[in-house]
Amino acid sequence: MPGPDTVTVSPSTQGRELAAGIVKFTRQSARRYKRSRSSWGERFVDAYSWGLGIGVSLTIAASFVLALRNEISDRASTANSIIRRQWLVLPEEVLWTSVTFAVLLVIANLARKLGPMTVNGAEGSWWLTLPIDRRPMVLPPFLRKVALTSAGSAIIYLPFSMVTVVDRAPVEHLLASLSFGAAGAIALVLAALQQLRLLPPRIGKATTAAVLLGCSVLPALSSSPWPTALVGAAAVGLLALVVPRAGQVRGEELVRGGAVAGHAGASLFMMDSNEVLRALGGGRKSVDGGRAARFYARPVDGPLRALIRADVVAFLRLNPPLMPPILWLAACIAMLLVEGGLPEFAQLAVIVIAGCATASGMGSVARKTALVPELDALLPLHPALVRISRTLMPCAAMALWMAILSGLLVLLGAADPWLIGVGALAGVGMGAGTLRAATKTPPDWTAPPVETPFGPVPRAQLGSLMRGLDVTILATIPLLVALYLGYVPWSVVIVQALFSAGVFLVVVVTRPKRI
Amino acid sequence: MGTVLEAEGLLVGYAGAPVCGEVSASVDAGEVLGVVGVNGAGKSTVARTIAGRQASLAGDVKVHGLLIDPDAVPFRRQVSAVFDDDLFFPSLTVREHLLLVARGHSLDDPEARVEEELDFFGLLGRSHAIPDALSSGQRRRLLLAAGLIRPSSLLILDEPEQRLDPRMRVALGERIAAHAKDGGAVVLVTHDPQLLLATASTCLVIDDEVQEFDPEQGASIIAGS
Repeated sequence: MPGPDTVTVSPSTQGRELAAGIVKFTRQSARRYKRSRSSWGERFVDAYSWGLGIGVSLTIAASFVLALRNEISDRASTANSIIRRQWLVLPEEVLWTSVTFAVLLVIANLARKLGPMTVNGAEGSWWLTLPIDRRPMVLPPFLRKVALTSAGSAIIYLPFSMVTVVDRAPVEHLLASLSFGAAGAIALVLAALQQLRLLPPRIGKATTAAVLLGCSVLPALSSSPWPTALVGAAAVGLLALVVPRAGQVRGEELVRGGAVAGHAGASLFMMDSNEVLRALGGGRKSVDGGRAARFYARPVDGPLRALIRADVVAFLRLNPPLMPPILWLAACIAMLLVEGGLPEFAQLAVIVIAGCATASGMGSVARKTALVPELDALLPLHPALVRISRTLMPCAAMALWMAILSGLLVLLGAADPWLIGVGALAGVGMGAGTLRAATKTPPDWTAPPVETPFGPVPRAQLGSLMRGLDVTILATIPLLVALYLGYVPWSVVIVQALFSAGVFLVVVVTRPKRI
Repeated sequence: MGTVLEAEGLLVGYAGAPVCGEVSASVDAGEVLGVVGVNGAGKSTVARTIAGRQASLAGDVKVHGLLIDPDAVPFRRQVSAVFDDDLFFPSLTVREHLLLVARGHSLDDPEARVEEELDFFGLLGRSHAIPDALSSGQRRRLLLAAGLIRPSSLLILDEPEQRLDPRMRVALGERIAAHAKDGGAVVLVTHDPQLLLATASTCLVIDDEVQEFDPEQGASIIAGS
């Protein structure tokens, strides 16, 4: 809303000191209050639990990475690949660089959704209305995020480097990780630059993609330290561009980022995947209310047809753009084409992961309607019919996606053309799984773990976390068997049809628990 | 006295759809503009737009002749707005919230000013409580105290009488009138005819068509609605 005759006074040093004092005052008061409410014993128990949890997680992750590394280094031939050997043409370096680029893009996009410069609700109300420089309010948390992203990226890249390039020396792995850590920081800082609107949005996004493409090549060149130095210098340079301008991010944008980050953070803490997806999808303003309006306006006979039409239109309006399913398809095929071939189980796992990720994206309508089941209950229809209507579009979309994937696999010599039919059938079951996932209840963290021969297991929580994903994976099993065999026996077609029909029936007949 | 607020052809609403008719009004220093209308008429949306909390669909709003910009330091210094946003720091006490505002506006002797406001709004006894421990009405008093402790040339109040007891409503009316007498301009969105009559110099009735009335007519419209 700033117009031509709007006056913006550049904040004085005095204003900045005052703002820093306000931030310090708020933090000190909050700290004093928290200290007064927790004892040293409680703090020690918290620290101990966190330390133990992190230690156990790292140990499990390290043993998994080492096992995977040994498996990959031991692979002797490509005889076990699910596609024909002649198609294993994609140089490993290209694939891993593409993966690195994709991860950096994800970091930048996620950072942009979550801010990255933010204030929470109370800060928005009490700090942003004060006539003082906002830089001391937003800069320290932003710098913390940069440092954490950088450290986290470096730690995550280390096992990736060890698994994907087995002949690297330890120092080279370290340098590659440091390069990726700096690239992660760059992704975050580029998101902040978009927030500052120094460039028009489209140019900002294109610049981010171009810079990150350059960054994604550097970790692979870890035989000398200069790529690490280069990417580190670029990170510092970009930070030097952002830091002096941190106070210029518009208040509305700071509050928006804070709201999304707060919602997503709380959902993640509760491990409620539906709520995380709702939080990340909430910032999307461009719902095309005109799309399929004519189709929706046509007269219909009966409530079921009206509901199906409403669900079709809602799916077309609310679902994410076409790009994610296409990207998952491309990523899946690219992983299969890698030179030398991934181990067979890894290839099948890639197909399952890509399928589950795509299916999850198809559940927008189900996730939104799950919040207000009362609306569905108002319809003069059996609840199972309502659920059938809700699953139709995800099932159709997933059947199409899986048929295309299976078709490409057939072209690559994975099996005979019957695989396309099996894939489409699997897609129906996977689509139905989206409704089961969307209507799951959040994990009940008060439920006690169940004693098993392997020790106590939080069965209720695991059951809640896996709901939806369980049937989505189940629906792919016959397809995976066909890919493993390399041909499609009739029995697999029949079993696939039974699996998908069973999953569909289970989903539409099971009455979901109240959220 | 100079014009503090000018709205010309202002259209407010959500997702491109206006919620009421075009608003054109001006408020001089020392004046209180009452804004009334039925529930959902768009009063709060008008107030939020004037306060820069949401973008207008069309038209201009100027404060002291400059287009509003909630990110500009002079705007933040001159405009104080109190809405029904129950957003507080969960671990700051009542006193600390007010101290934060007083220090942020560089008031002389902020501790003394905080004491005065705590006393006026009857919060002295609860000054060391965190907002979660307050009643709904006390939280409302805290928000009003934060809006009034700081200097401002334009005060925007969105239904400030809500959740207040009758005695506090009267005291608030006197306080608003005193603010105007000291040269401040006030935009007061209200459903309370007494508060309107005690403070307003003009009255804007928000509906599909926005019209200006005198406060007596505005009060009878409220009573009628």
